[in-house]
Amino acid sequence: MPVKSREEIVFQILVNTFLIVFLLIILVPMWRVVMMSVTPLGYAAEDTSFGMLIPPWKWSIEAYKQLLTHPNFLHAVWNSVQITVLGTSLSLILTVPLAYVLSIRTLPGRNILINFILLTYLFSAGMIPTFLVVHDLGLTDHLAAVFVPVAIGVYNVLLMKGFFEGLPVELEEAARLDGASELQVLIQIILPLSKPILLTIGLFYGVFYWNEFFYPILYLNDNDLMPLPVLLRNILMASSLNEYVEYDAFSNAPIQSLKAAGVFITMLPMVAVYPFIQRYFTKSTLTGSVKQ
Amino acid sequence: MRNISKHLFLAVVIMALLLSACGTATTVAPTVAKATTAPDVVQPTAEPTEIQPATISMWAAGRVSEADDPPADWVVYDILEEKLKITLDLVVMKGGNDDMNQKINTAAAANDLPDLFFVNRDAWYALVGQGMIAPVDDLLPLMPTRTATHYSDPNRNRLVTIDGKMYGLPDPGQIPTTDGLVIRKDWLDKLGLAMPKTLDELIEVARAFTNDDPDGNGKNDTYGFGAYPEMAGVPENGLGRRFDYIMGAFGVSGMWNVTQDGFGMNVYNPAFLDALKVVRQINVEGLITPDWPTLKKDDFRANWKQGQWGIMRENFAALSTKSNYKDFDANNPEGEWVVLPPPTGPAGLSSEGLSNQSARIYAISQKAIDEGKGEAIARFLDWTAGDEGYYLLGFGVKGENYNLDANGYITLEGIDPAKAWTAKEMQPYTQLGNFVYIFTDVELKARYPEHQTANGRTIKPLDFLAGFTAQNWTECTASGIINPPDNWGDLQTRYNEGIQAFVLDVDNEITQEAWDAFLADLKGLGTDDWVADARDILTGAGYLK
Amino acid sequence: MKKSGVDRPSSISQDDNVTEKTAAQPALVPNAAIEIPWREKFRRLWRAVWRHRWLYIIVLPSVLFFVIFKYWPLFNAQIAFKDFKPVLGVVGSPWVGLKHLEAFFNSYYFSRLIGNTLFYSIAGLILGMPTAIILAIALYETRFNMIRSIVQTGAYIPHFLSWVIMFGVLLTMLSPSEGLINEIIKATEGKSISFLTSPKYFRWVAIFSNIWKETGWSTILYYAALMGIETALFEAASVDGASRLQRIWHISLPGILPVIMIVTLLRLGHILDAGFNEIFVLYSVPVYSVADIIDTWVYRAGILEFKYSLATAVGMFKGVIGLVLLVVSNQLAKRWARTSLY
Repeated sequence: MPVKSREEIVFQILVNTFLIVFLLIILVPMWRVVMMSVTPLGYAAEDTSFGMLIPPWKWSIEAYKQLLTHPNFLHAVWNSVQITVLGTSLSLILTVPLAYVLSIRTLPGRNILINFILLTYLFSAGMIPTFLVVHDLGLTDHLAAVFVPVAIGVYNVLLMKGFFEGLPVELEEAARLDGASELQVLIQIILPLSKPILLTIGLFYGVFYWNEFFYPILYLNDNDLMPLPVLLRNILMASSLNEYVEYDAFSNAPIQSLKAAGVFITMLPMVAVYPFIQRYFTKSTLTGSVKQ
Repeated sequence: MRNISKHLFLAVVIMALLLSACGTATTVAPTVAKATTAPDVVQPTAEPTEIQPATISMWAAGRVSEADDPPADWVVYDILEEKLKITLDLVVMKGGNDDMNQKINTAAAANDLPDLFFVNRDAWYALVGQGMIAPVDDLLPLMPTRTATHYSDPNRNRLVTIDGKMYGLPDPGQIPTTDGLVIRKDWLDKLGLAMPKTLDELIEVARAFTNDDPDGNGKNDTYGFGAYPEMAGVPENGLGRRFDYIMGAFGVSGMWNVTQDGFGMNVYNPAFLDALKVVRQINVEGLITPDWPTLKKDDFRANWKQGQWGIMRENFAALSTKSNYKDFDANNPEGEWVVLPPPTGPAGLSSEGLSNQSARIYAISQKAIDEGKGEAIARFLDWTAGDEGYYLLGFGVKGENYNLDANGYITLEGIDPAKAWTAKEMQPYTQLGNFVYIFTDVELKARYPEHQTANGRTIKPLDFLAGFTAQNWTECTASGIINPPDNWGDLQTRYNEGIQAFVLDVDNEITQEAWDAFLADLKGLGTDDWVADARDILTGAGYLK
Repeated sequence: MKKSGVDRPSSISQDDNVTEKTAAQPALVPNAAIEIPWREKFRRLWRAVWRHRWLYIIVLPSVLFFVIFKYWPLFNAQIAFKDFKPVLGVVGSPWVGLKHLEAFFNSYYFSRLIGNTLFYSIAGLILGMPTAIILAIALYETRFNMIRSIVQTGAYIPHFLSWVIMFGVLLTMLSPSEGLINEIIKATEGKSISFLTSPKYFRWVAIFSNIWKETGWSTILYYAALMGIETALFEAASVDGASRLQRIWHISLPGILPVIMIVTLLRLGHILDAGFNEIFVLYSVPVYSVADIIDTWVYRAGILEFKYSLATAVGMFKGVIGLVLLVVSNQLAKRWARTSLY
C-alpha cells in the first residue's frame, strides 16, 4: 500500500497487538510445562516467579533421565516411529489414487464413489463392530491393527481431491493428447506438482498416528508393541491395579516434573517437523475441498 | 518370543506324538509334573494318564505396572514347557481399571477371551451373565494344592458363587486392614497439640495444620487433610475409601450397611447427611488439599511425600516401605507419621474403614473349557501353588534372587544386590507375584522389611499394619456379593455425582430439600428393588437371617 | 475457488467432446437420453469405463479399504437391533428391534446428555470459529512478516498435543494448588478455584481449552482462503477509498465464506460428536452434570458395562441425525450460498 494513513497505523497496531497477545496465551502454558519439567525437588519454597523463571543453573534434568532410562522407553519410541511411518505411508498410498480418481469428473461412477465414501464419514459403525472386523481379520496384536483400520481419512481425501481439481489442466491435456495413460498422467504430471499437498496431508496423518493411544490399547495386548503415548499414559496416569506398592520406579524427580517432561518429549518430534512443512499449508493446498 | 514359543510348542507336540506312539514312555512325563505338588495331595484320577500339551493364554494383573513384562527367556517358561508341557502365553495387564475392563470387554465381544484372566467383580458378573465364564467346581479337585492355599476361604468363595456354582478363582485380594488413618506426629509436637480423639478435635488439629505453618517454612502451603476419590466395586462409592474415617464417625462408612439390624443403603440413614456436611465444611474451609477431586493415586502419594498435609488414610505399604518412604524422608527428615485411632463422632461411633475379605478374581473362559484346556489350566495353577512355582513367581530363583534362612524366611543374605528380587531390574521376574502371594508371615516379612531413615530412626511397616488392624473396623465382607443392578451405570453416576457435588459446592449449604430430592432421584433409579435383591442374596448366602 | 482462468470444469467439456466425436450428434440434443437405444448407451458407457480402466484399478485398494473397514463394520452394526451375545456371534444373536434405542431414549440421563452434547458442539462452533477467522484476518493483515510467521508457528503447536497431554498442560495452569492461574489468584487476593471440578467453571474450561488447542490450526483454512483472494480486488477497493474494516467486511469475509460454509456443514454433520477425547480426559464425577456427553455415556455403558448393542444403537442414532442434518444443510447451502460439500 502506498500511503500510510493514520487509520492504517492504528489498524496495524491493533492487529499486531492482538497477534502478540494471542501468541502469549499460547506460549505461557507451554513455557510453564517446560519450566515444570526442569523444576528440582523442593524448589517451590525459594521461588517468587510462580515457577516461570527458574534460572538455568538450577534446572534439574532428573525427570528426563528417569523417563529416558525407563526400560521400555526406547522400545516404545521405536513402536511409535514404526506406526507413524508405516501408517503415514499406507495412508498416502491409499489416499492419493482415491483423491485423484475422484477429481476426474468424467469418470463413470464417480458420484457413486463419492457417496460411497461420504456415507462412511457420517456413519461410522462404532467401536465394537469395527473391533469385530479387526479381530476376524486376525490383526489384533499386530502393529498393523493400529493403522490399517484407520488408514484413510475422508476429510483428507476431500482436501487432496480439491487440490487436484485446482491444478492447471493444460499440462494434463497435453500429456493426454500425446497418448499418455491416466496412470502416466498421475505419476508424471500430477504428483510432481503435488508436493505441497502430499507433505501437508502426510503431516496430518503423521500427527494422528503419533498421538494415537486409544487403538493401541484396544487392539494390542502384547505390551512390547505399545507406542509412546500409551507408555507415558501408563507411567503418568495409571497404577490403580497395584495395592501393594513395595517399589516405585520414579522417585528422584517430582511427579509434576515427570508429567511435564512426558508432555515435552511426546510433543517434540511433531513440533520439530512441522515448521518445515508449514509453508505448504497456505495458498492452494487447503481450500481445495471448497468447490465453486 | 511368539515365534520361539511357537517352535517350542511344535517341538512339544511332535514329542508328545512320538511318545504316545510308543506306549512305553507314557509314565515319564506325569511323574515329573506331579513331583512339584505337595505330597499329601490325593490324586484325582488314579491312572497316570498322558499329559496333554497345551497352550494357555493368560492375562494377569501385573504386580508393578511401571516394570517390564517377564522376558522371553524367563526360566518359568522353560520349566512349564519341560515339566508341564504347557506353553504360557502371558500378557501382563497394565493401566487402570477402565483400561483393563475395556480390553476384556472388547475381547469378550469377539468371543476371544484368554483362557485365564484377571477381572474385577463387576465385569466378571456381566461376563458370567453372557455365559462366557466357566464354572470351576470340576477343576478344583484337579488342583488340590492351590485349592488348599487359595480357594478354601468360604467368604471369598461366596464372592464368585452364583446359584451354587463357583464361576471364578478368588485369589486372596488384600489383607482387609491395610489402609488406615495416620497423622504427622512431628507437626502435632511442633504446634504443641495432643492426639485428637473426637472428630471435632481432629478438625481443630486440621485447622492448625492448615493455618499455623506446621512445617515452619514461613509459607502458607500446608493442609490438614489429604485424600482423593478412590473407589473400587460396589461397596465403595460416593466419596470413596479415603474418607471412610469421617463417614465412620457417623456410622455410615461404605455404600451398604450389612448388619442384621441396620441393613440397607447408608445414604438413607439421616446420619449420612450429617457426615457429608462435615466433609463439605472441611472442603469449604480449605482444610483439605484443594486438588483432591482430581488427584490420581500417584499425585496423592507424591504430594504427601512433599509434606503437603498432615492427616490422611493411606495404605501401610505405600506409606512406609523403604522405597516409598525415602522421598518423604528426603523432603521431611524430621517427619513422622503415626497411627491415629479413627475419631469418634457425636454419637461416639468410629470406624477406620471397611474391612472386607476381598478377592482378586481370575476367571477361566468357557471357550478354554470347550477347547478341552481345563485340565491343563488346573495343572498350571496347581504348579504355581507348589513350592517350585510359588517361590519362582513370588521371589525369583533361589540363590540368585533370594535365599532362605534357617527358619524358612526370605533373606537377601549372600545375594548380589543388583540381582536381589527387590531390585528395580528384577521386578519383571515377579510380575506374577500377586498371583501366588497368600500373605503368610514369611511373605509379609520378606515384602515389608524394616528399614532406617536417613537420621537413623527405624521404620517398621508391619507395625503400621498391626496398628491399623487393632482399630475399629466396619465389617462388610457381605456387601462384596451384592450384584450391580442392570442400570448400575446410571445409578452409580447419580450416586457419586450427587454426593460429590454436595460436598464440593462451596457456595451453597446442603439443604434438606436438595438432599430429599437427591434421595428421591435414587429411588427413581430403583434402589428399593436393589435393596430387596441384595437382602435376598445376603440371606441366601447366610449373612442375614 | 476461482484461482485461474482455466480450471477443471473446462476439462470436462473437452473430455465430453472427445467422447462425442465417435458418438455422432444426438448428445447435444435435449432429451438425447431417451432417444439413444440402451445398447448404444451401454456401449458408450463401456467405452468411457474402458478408457478409464487404470483409474478403476488404482482406486481398487482404497475401495477395498472402505468395504472392509467401514462397510463390514456397518454389517456388524446390526447388533444395534439385536441382543448381541458374543458366543452366538453377530448373525446368530436374536433380533430385538428398537429395544436398545428405546433404552437410550428412556435413560435417566437422556435429556442431559443431549443438552450437554449440543452445548459443546454449538458453543465450540460459535465461539471457536469467529476466533479463528479473526486470527486468520489478523495474520493476513499484519505487515510484519516476522510476527506473522512466529504467531503462525506458535499457534499451530497445541494442535499436536493429544488430549492426555493437554490435561497435563491444563493442570499446570488450573490446578488449585500449583496451577499458574490459581497461584496468581492466591498471590493477589483470594482463594484458589477448582476449575476442573466445579460445574460452574468446567464448561468454559472445556470450551476455551478446545479453542486454545485448535484455533491456530483452524486458521490454516481461512488464511489459505484469504491468500486465494485476488489482490487486485483489495487494490481496487483501496482506490475507491474503502477503509480497512470495509475491505475486510466486503472482500475478505465474502472471500472466505465458502470455507466457513464447508466447515459449518462438516460440523453440523457431526453435531452429536462433542469431542469424546477431550471430555473423557478432562471430566470427573463432580462435573458429570455439565460434562457428560453422549459419547462418554456410551463409552461407560457400552464398553465398561458390556452393553455392546446399546453402544452400537446410539452410534447408529448419531449417524442418522448427522446424515439428515448434513443433507438438509447441504441443500440449503447449495441454494443460498452456492456452496456445497459434494
